[in-house]
Amino acid sequence: MEREQWDVVVIGAGVVGSAVARELTRYQLRVAVLEKELDVACGNSSRNTGMLHAGFTYKPGSLKAECAVEGNREFDQVAAELGVPFKRTGKLVVGFTEHDRENILKFKAIGEKNGVEGMRMIDKEEIERIEPHAGGEFAMYVPSSGILDPMAYTIALADNAAQNGATFLFDHRVTGIARDAESDAYVISTSQGEVRTKWVVNCAGAYASEVSEMLGYPNYPVRGFKGEYFVLDKKAGAYLKTPVYPAPNDKGGFSTHATPTVDGNILVGPDSYVTEGWEDYKCTKEHLDGLIRDGSKMFEQMRREFFIRNFAGIRWKRVDEEGNVLDFKLESDQQGHPNTVNLVGIESPGVTCALPLARRAVALLVAVEAPQKNADFDPVRPAPKRFYDMTREEQAAAIAADPEYGEIVCRCETVTRAEIRRAIHNPLGVHTVTGIKNRTRATMGRCQGGYCETRITEMIEQELGVRPEDVRFNRAGSYMFTGPVRGDAATAGATKAPAEAPEGSVSA
Amino acid sequence: MLREFTCIMCPQGCDIKVELEDGVIKSVTGNTCLKGEAYVTQEIQNPMRNIASSILVDGGELPLASVRLSGVIPKDRIFDVMAEIRKVELPAPVHEGDVAIADVLGLGVDVIVTKDVEAA
Amino acid sequence: MKHVDAIIVGGGPAGLAAAIELRKKGVEDILVLEREKRPGGILRQCIHDGFGLTRFGETLSGPEYAARFVREAEELGIPCLCDTTVLEVTPDRHVFASSSEHGMMEFEAGAVILAMGCRERTRGAISIPGTRPAGVYTAGVAQSYINLKNKMVGRRVIILGSGDIGMIMARRMTLEGAEVLGVFEVQPYASGLPRNVEQCLNDYNIPLSLSHTVTDIRGTDRLESVVISQVDDHMQPIPGTEVEYECDTLILSVGLIPENELTWMAGAEKDPGTSGPAVDESYQTTVPGVFAAGNVLHVHDLVDFVSLEAEALADGAPRFLAEGGLPECPLAVRGNELVGGLTPARVSGTSDVTVSFRVRRPLRDCTVEVRQGDTVIRRRRMAKALPAEMVQIKIAADKLNTTDDLEVTVTC
Repeated sequence: MEREQWDVVVIGAGVVGSAVARELTRYQLRVAVLEKELDVACGNSSRNTGMLHAGFTYKPGSLKAECAVEGNREFDQVAAELGVPFKRTGKLVVGFTEHDRENILKFKAIGEKNGVEGMRMIDKEEIERIEPHAGGEFAMYVPSSGILDPMAYTIALADNAAQNGATFLFDHRVTGIARDAESDAYVISTSQGEVRTKWVVNCAGAYASEVSEMLGYPNYPVRGFKGEYFVLDKKAGAYLKTPVYPAPNDKGGFSTHATPTVDGNILVGPDSYVTEGWEDYKCTKEHLDGLIRDGSKMFEQMRREFFIRNFAGIRWKRVDEEGNVLDFKLESDQQGHPNTVNLVGIESPGVTCALPLARRAVALLVAVEAPQKNADFDPVRPAPKRFYDMTREEQAAAIAADPEYGEIVCRCETVTRAEIRRAIHNPLGVHTVTGIKNRTRATMGRCQGGYCETRITEMIEQELGVRPEDVRFNRAGSYMFTGPVRGDAATAGATKAPAEAPEGSVSA
Repeated sequence: MLREFTCIMCPQGCDIKVELEDGVIKSVTGNTCLKGEAYVTQEIQNPMRNIASSILVDGGELPLASVRLSGVIPKDRIFDVMAEIRKVELPAPVHEGDVAIADVLGLGVDVIVTKDVEAA
Repeated sequence: MKHVDAIIVGGGPAGLAAAIELRKKGVEDILVLEREKRPGGILRQCIHDGFGLTRFGETLSGPEYAARFVREAEELGIPCLCDTTVLEVTPDRHVFASSSEHGMMEFEAGAVILAMGCRERTRGAISIPGTRPAGVYTAGVAQSYINLKNKMVGRRVIILGSGDIGMIMARRMTLEGAEVLGVFEVQPYASGLPRNVEQCLNDYNIPLSLSHTVTDIRGTDRLESVVISQVDDHMQPIPGTEVEYECDTLILSVGLIPENELTWMAGAEKDPGTSGPAVDESYQTTVPGVFAAGNVLHVHDLVDFVSLEAEALADGAPRFLAEGGLPECPLAVRGNELVGGLTPARVSGTSDVTVSFRVRRPLRDCTVEVRQGDTVIRRRRMAKALPAEMVQIKIAADKLNTTDDLEVTVTC
């Protein structure tokens, strides 16, 4: 695989990289995506609130504003094509003081300039009607805001890219890029050897500045704003259906808030503080305590019995010398660095902007390369209805057609054996326990895998013919078992001959 | 000399105090039944324990069958017995009460199976 | 849709004991629904001994204890559908269950017995800070991997929480060659039974550190170390007391929670004291004909008491089936500040009743009193009372009046 040459290599399988790969497959191009982790969206693409932003806080004329509004408008169609859960819930930005009102009106005006439609100021009575559990004396109602699962969305983009011919190479960390001018190609050094390609698209997220420099562009200064989150049980989800945000501060930032997820949980967070670590995803007692304190103000049901998980994400914002936040960087310098597209500082609202940015990135390539259209491109990703979402009649029919639907593997989220099996054989060849989780929601409920994790690891072993020692939790070194308790490691576990090992296989 | 014990004979876990003089028990207090007195007497002379573990089963519905000892063994022989348990592999099916190792290490107790594991 | 007189959700020690006793009391049409491949519940992975002293007068391993009930149920011809998950129990006692073999099933039950047991509290529930590497397991999951699946979860182990399963796993992993560096407990006392401190930790020189907790988890792929801190009287970490332990495994034994999702679907009310459903003296929830017993009701210290409670449940359910209802239970049962997890929530004053609870902290030389109005019905002196142990007090019907609430007090 590594010997041949790709037409385009995308570096990074986050939401932007996956969207770029998908948009590239609309053309007759041989596309590979290099990802250092074992799955897509392991970084900040999935470590956020999952808002489909309306676009009322971004500077008019900026790429952020333009792409957010465009991405927001098209998302019903995108969600339908890719089979991802999405709810256009609207959003309440609530205020208490005159200063709050001023800030809200300031952003309402910006939103209108950006083309955000339908925003209106509402009174306490209407707030109550829209969301009985929201506080606030008045609010701006933003009907176009929505919620989505950024992990599911990225997986869907990547699946669709793979369906249309893109190849995802996991466990491939880029360590250097050299230009072979003679053959008009780039030679990318990775943790798994060299990869040759004509074009390179930098979608490296947190590491985008580093890759930018490898391509010959500047190492753009960025600053990491980290935020921690609580995930609350679906029982808490009953108390909040609409995202409720406090009035933005003078810079357009929002303090800790509560947001329903598309699956019915509640996220409380993020807070915001500066971090230096590129992958500093640890949660800290200080900040979790802070979230409990501040979160309770925005969401009364911030109760310990509802806590099921914590996570953290980092917004790597491009900044100038004074530390002012700059717009997304999208560039292609065909003279200086031929056949490259550089995307740096893509942070919030990156999920909303992913496809609009991808189209713009691909257009830069198409303008130079003029590739043929891919007549077989299919924008629709097959996504069978979840057992959990089916009516009893549909469930009965599903079991009748495939008895594995009758076996509930994950009790909390009602995920069946049939669904786990399909997830294990996903189009990207991802086999981690976390990967199965993110494709099915198994282990994401209140028992956090207490019942189903032992079953999922066993299914991974059986379906793929790998040993327990080869099962990975999430990352390459995240082994779950040190060996069998009894007997020989060589004979324990694997019951089937290994299946054809795809790239990034756990058995590799 | 006063020695204190937590009795392990039942879940109550009595705190038992034993008055010793030159290794001879003078008094036992704190126990609520006779088992407690027997326990501390044994504990002072030669502590004895039962252990539970697993043995490998070949061709069973489960890879392991649980086992325990038919009686107690000296505490300092526990890891010797574990080494023996590790060597055993029984063909499925195995049943509760099956003797996996008779008179393990000549200690006068058997390693017995505590769970049915049918053939796969 | 099929009618069944008594549907039992869960074929563990509570469900099986209830089924057997119901049959003995004359209920013929019984069905046990069990999600695992075989009945027996969590006992199938609890291979250590020490079960059955109260119920059978001898000490058994978990699988042997379970097998006694499984065999008896088989001998009585009680049907048990395994590999079957109950998806929903409705307030009018319709039960939806799914299995690969039988598809989607709907039953109309005369009575529903909830016996789903409990689940473990997780890392997320107690918000342990740090990274998210592999190697962090709850004790029950580790036990399942080691005792059922033949997979060793790690070699250098820290255990957070001194619950019984945590201590038992400390011993189990030591026997299998792992190095258990220590057990750390946030409370100033062990949360499991004293005999497990003795035979699982002291026997193997595994240190137990009270008033300590994990304040950081480190490692990006597999667990590399944890940081342990001492805590103050309010269980807050004391800065400057941090000690880092290199380890590849962190086992959590930080509490059990009654597994009541189906209970709430059925519309039963919660007992804030137990987190389980509020039940009356017949173990009936606030939904008529829906009963609950065992760890689904409140977490027990010993499986023997789970069985005994489930057997006691079999008094009320047949009466409900025969008479279409049970006596009103207008009298509330309340405890003072030292009484936790008190059941039942309500009594009639006309039947014998067993009140059970746990003390909220370790006590010496205390007195338990059960009162109605100014009358002390029962008084028990206890030389020692531990939160790890359940206190049970039987009260005969002839001691009770039918007008006053019951007050359970522990004083020291």
